[in-house]
Amino acid sequence: MTAPDPITLEIIRHRLAGINDEAAIMLRQVSGSQIAVEANDLNTAITTADGTVVACGDYVLCQVASLDLVTSDIIRNYSTDPGIRPGDQFMTNDPYVGTLHQPDVVVVAPVFHEGMLVAWCGSTVHQPDVGGPATGGLALDAGSIFDEPLPVPPVRIVEHDRIRRDIERGYLIRSRTPRLNALDLAGQIAANRAAVAAIQNLCRRYGTETVIAAMDHLVDAAERQLRARLRELPDGRWRHVSYLEHGTPAPDNSDVYLVRLDATKRGEELVLDFSDSSPQAPGAINAAYPALVNFTVASVLVYLCADLLWVPGAVARVVKIVSREGTVVHARWPAGVAMSTATSCQAIRVSVNACLSRMLEGSAELARLAMASCQSSGAGGGVLSGVSRSGEPFGSMTLDELTGGGGATLLFDGVDSSGSTTSPGASCANVEVNESYLPVLYLRRAELADSAGPGRQRGGVGCVIALRPHGTDEPVRVVSFAQGLQHPAAVGLDGGDPGRQSMFYAGRIEVVDDMLAGGRVEHALPLPDAAARLTGGAVHLAVTQGGGGYGDPLERDPAAVLTDVADGLVSVVGAERDYGVVLVRSGCDSGSAVGDVAGATSWTVDREATAARRRLIRSDRIGGREPAARVAHRPGRRLTNALDLVDGPGGRHIACARCAAPLSPVDGNPYLAMAVVEGPVYEAAPLPARYPGAERFVIRRLHCPSCASRIEVQVSLRSDPVVQAVAPIA
Amino acid sequence: MRLIGIDTGGTFTDAVVLDQGGRTTVGKALSTPGRVDDGVLAAVGTVADSLGLTLCDLLSGTDVLAHGTTVGLNALLTRSGARVGLLTTAGFESTPAIAKASKLHHLPEADLRAPSRWRKPDLPLRRGDVAGVPERIDLTGEIIVPLDEEAARAAIARLVAAGVESIAVSLLWAPVNSRHEHRIRELVREIAPDVHVTLSSEVAARIGEYERTCTAVVDAYTAPLVASYLRRLETRLRDHGFVGDFVVMRMGGGVQPAPVARRQPVQTLRSGPAGGVSATRALGARLGHANLIATDVGGTSFDVGLVIDGAAYPARLPTIDRIPLAVPAVDIPSIGTGGGSIAWYDPALGTLRVGPQSAAARPGPACYGLGGTRPTLTDAVVVLGYVTRLGATLTLDRDAASRAIDEHVARPLGVGVIEAAEGIVQVACAQMRDLVRRTTIQRGHDPSDFVLVAYGGAGPQYVGRYAEDLGVSEVIIPALAPEFSAYGAISADLRVAEERDLRPVPLVDAGPPIGAALAELEPEVVAQLGGGQLTVRRSVGLRFYRQLQRIDLPIPAGPVDADVIEDLLARFHQGYELVVGPGSAPPDTPVEVVAVGLEAVRPIVVPAPSPRPHRRAQPVRTTPTWFRGQANDWPVYRWVALGGGQRITGPCLVESDQTTVVVYPGQALQALPGGDLRLILQETA
Repeated sequence: MTAPDPITLEIIRHRLAGINDEAAIMLRQVSGSQIAVEANDLNTAITTADGTVVACGDYVLCQVASLDLVTSDIIRNYSTDPGIRPGDQFMTNDPYVGTLHQPDVVVVAPVFHEGMLVAWCGSTVHQPDVGGPATGGLALDAGSIFDEPLPVPPVRIVEHDRIRRDIERGYLIRSRTPRLNALDLAGQIAANRAAVAAIQNLCRRYGTETVIAAMDHLVDAAERQLRARLRELPDGRWRHVSYLEHGTPAPDNSDVYLVRLDATKRGEELVLDFSDSSPQAPGAINAAYPALVNFTVASVLVYLCADLLWVPGAVARVVKIVSREGTVVHARWPAGVAMSTATSCQAIRVSVNACLSRMLEGSAELARLAMASCQSSGAGGGVLSGVSRSGEPFGSMTLDELTGGGGATLLFDGVDSSGSTTSPGASCANVEVNESYLPVLYLRRAELADSAGPGRQRGGVGCVIALRPHGTDEPVRVVSFAQGLQHPAAVGLDGGDPGRQSMFYAGRIEVVDDMLAGGRVEHALPLPDAAARLTGGAVHLAVTQGGGGYGDPLERDPAAVLTDVADGLVSVVGAERDYGVVLVRSGCDSGSAVGDVAGATSWTVDREATAARRRLIRSDRIGGREPAARVAHRPGRRLTNALDLVDGPGGRHIACARCAAPLSPVDGNPYLAMAVVEGPVYEAAPLPARYPGAERFVIRRLHCPSCASRIEVQVSLRSDPVVQAVAPIA
Repeated sequence: MRLIGIDTGGTFTDAVVLDQGGRTTVGKALSTPGRVDDGVLAAVGTVADSLGLTLCDLLSGTDVLAHGTTVGLNALLTRSGARVGLLTTAGFESTPAIAKASKLHHLPEADLRAPSRWRKPDLPLRRGDVAGVPERIDLTGEIIVPLDEEAARAAIARLVAAGVESIAVSLLWAPVNSRHEHRIRELVREIAPDVHVTLSSEVAARIGEYERTCTAVVDAYTAPLVASYLRRLETRLRDHGFVGDFVVMRMGGGVQPAPVARRQPVQTLRSGPAGGVSATRALGARLGHANLIATDVGGTSFDVGLVIDGAAYPARLPTIDRIPLAVPAVDIPSIGTGGGSIAWYDPALGTLRVGPQSAAARPGPACYGLGGTRPTLTDAVVVLGYVTRLGATLTLDRDAASRAIDEHVARPLGVGVIEAAEGIVQVACAQMRDLVRRTTIQRGHDPSDFVLVAYGGAGPQYVGRYAEDLGVSEVIIPALAPEFSAYGAISADLRVAEERDLRPVPLVDAGPPIGAALAELEPEVVAQLGGGQLTVRRSVGLRFYRQLQRIDLPIPAGPVDADVIEDLLARFHQGYELVVGPGSAPPDTPVEVVAVGLEAVRPIVVPAPSPRPHRRAQPVRTTPTWFRGQANDWPVYRWVALGGGQRITGPCLVESDQTTVVVYPGQALQALPGGDLRLILQETA
């Protein structure tokens, strides 16, 4: 069957998107939890009969980007027994089959018309609790998946449009929040039912063959677009290393896990190779293969496919994902994976983000799409659980981790407190809604100065959250996602700094008050452990990470820094330390003496002092020498924003794009020639605090040895080498 | 007995005057930016002229003048309102900036797939104009930290000194205990008596601080302008002898006395579209239909509203310019498909697409002849001959429309101009049809229970296409289609509503708190309408335990006893299963009461239009028109000439001064006695 005419095709495309969007709206209307409704931690998708994802909602992309793994499992295993029939729906939360982690419950429904399987529609919702030893399903100390919620492989929860009560009971009995789960399940089933009926109507109106052909055409068109974009970009190799920690810091660093990505692009082929990542951990922080694929596909959409069609099924056809079973990004059963989304998956996104953005920098036209990392879910969030005063168990994420910063781009600052890119439609909950669900009282939820990664374009700021138990006499258990405490995790680009690390503390109010009041004494804080509880007057403090910066912070317009200070997003101290901008008081407002954060005091830029300060910082980067002058035009062809490939008398070499200083032969490593300024990571912490293990990590700022421009910033174990982030392919 | 309805739009101000006996006269004047009241008086003046009256004669004999205004909306959209200061609970100053981390929802469609353009809603509030005040109330209403009055005074003084012109106060849990908000207003009055103050607990007594704060800020932002505009207009009307009731449209439907509107201008913001739905409801009441779909094709959007069981369907959380507003509103889903939507060939998909880009008013569609070169939906209907003239001073350039379609759509697609133009209409109408489907069948309503009403200047051209395949029982094009929003202002009841969010109470224990909350609300609401003969409707918001979406159900007058509670429970389960499916309501899950609402209504009696004489109008001319790739000279009728009950068959056109109805091949049209038209999609006779 040839593709339908251009008008019918457009009508069907528009209708499919509408059906899928409306399914998500219905899901939210029916479902109950603040996770689904307030935070939109859900998504819906429509796939072809063989599972290729055609339409994907705007909420949490990575939840359904690879729904095909679920449908193909059902087709492979259940085609004859128990069979796949009209009116059936299947439910699973098995991360080894197709969900991200156990709390994400997927319900899919086959769409039949005139006896033929035409499509599938389905949804994912993050459930408050799906059982297991720890409320909320996230256990820091799991030794395997048997210490986590035991997954339900796909089961036929709906037969002939009737819910199977026996199976529903078997699922709900695991949960500490069965009523909420029942409502979420009802919402998913209702949404599928509506979407199935709508697709059947479409088949009746335009013919089954036409609808199938239109879906296939849509995937083909998106595939062609993505291949064309890849052809437009120079070939090359890009590498990135992200760090995860699990357990107590060990002298041999055996608690540190590396997610290593080696990306290669040739012509219209893109290979993302994760096989050099660390062996899997005993529990919690691993990702099973479906989580790797979902996050990688979603990251490719976000970081490479701007302004193209977003058809996840097309990405799967073009991008080859390579991994090794038994690693932290591709765990082997029965490794625990319940915390994958907040840990290894974040590292997967950051790694894909870093490699693809550097790839985009190779094209003058597409460089504007390159984006530094957004917050990495990290330790800003977690799960609170316990027993309320009325004796009823409670347990839920606060969702406050969604308030981290966005990454900066070539032209724009990152969006402040905007959450992560792979969950574009997710929101944090209102404080009043969280206080309705959890027996806590918030003391503060506010944007935090100096939490963003400095850069010519700065990252978006993260937030600080403080709360205490309220309305319960029992201790409140606090499980943290526990990442990004020892070091920053949101990468900057083109010499921009990483977004600042997250924080987690459950303890004395005096410590919290001192840090929030702008105290300068550094507090040694403990790493979260599985037994953390709030009792008595204890307070829980969390800081979400800022987004990565873009470009050398010394190139930021001092007026923009001044505005950030007035808005309370950068402190006066931070303006000088991170940007070399010296501010002086203006006017005679009766401001606070500290004047660290905006308020009544107004400031102006001291232009001379700023110029002097910036000169000094520049020459310090290269050992006190006078920086070389910049050249008027780039000396060769772009490799990244900061590096060029130049053909000279001695052959092709890699040079600084700003001053033309040669750094290495084309097949050499230019990063070895750069002037490195290495500093401890905790100096960058947004509040004065240090966690055990942090001393092992460093921030390396790499500069052109000639003109002192900042080219690259890397966060690394002190004992690890500088990563060769970019290498051309001849 | 005389009623006047006024709707101010961006380009024109419409006036509709209804006299005793059902005589209807319409008037139109250009809207003057910055002098909106001039346009109102000019529009009423043109009616007076055509009736042979002076403005004073007309106004002094008018009982009710109902007004839908866009002054507040324009101030918000053009960011020209007052500089607002926000006082909020200390520690939560970032609530508007964090905006629940929402960076994607309600962005223009073209930005949804472009992460570098994701951004937060742009609330009209500077970060530096937010001040935290030490105080804290918890979810039960208990005061945990008393209000620090000295700090509050200092914060107010700082904001006022900084140049703030209007103050919004939004404190955590104020809907449950508003004492601190009220005290802060007293302090503002002491320090700066002339500064407007909006309290979140008054404009949006809903739980959820982000949406409530946005509502308070937008209210404070628009209040000075809207209040002074309404005062100025009322003064000018009174100066011209008007002694009747001056009432203002609400976006929640109905009209409210002007003093109430001045106090809470946020309610006036999107009242124009609500007027259209009100008019649809009134039309339905006259023709005997309780379920209607209101559809309005404008220049840049297509709006849909529902009337179910005789009441406008409410929106749970309306947004304007991406800003959520926690106030009652008529639900009016909208897509950016309108006459100005640009048609283009998408090389990636190989398809013909319409929108999301739209031609602005200048240079506008190519057929305006003002220099526009991109083809629009309007250009397509011009090329097809459905529209042969444009309003006001514009002359129609069919060749320019044809060239634009040829270059940008026909040639890339490899088809002729006519085929391309028909394709553009087909694609645009499919988008409109999708929105109707989404708001009806996909939300559990069966279109065959509904009558579809098409209005707006352009609706009558497209309804014959977009209403196809929907399965609606009937299609009506009202006599006042182009001025329907203005008509809506007078056909709406005088209505004041208040609601209060309650701390969740299990339904079984909810009798006393419901009764107490309603007893508190009733005198407030009744007083706003000045007492008299009122219908008071009471409702209760219910949800399953901890569900966030609630269902509002009416309850009878009198004590809230066990019978009422039992009846509520049964109706709640019914309503839930209607949406989710039979057997879906979990029987063991408790039901909670989370809100009460109270609405006082005083009906405005609208005289029925005088019946049309029975006669058979003949076509006034023929015009070359393309249908299904064939051009023919098809007949053109004058709308006013059609006799009551007259039936004509398509293809043909029916013209009035303001619009053209297109009757497509295979369709027929029947003139109803009141001058409305019934479009018959499948001509069988």
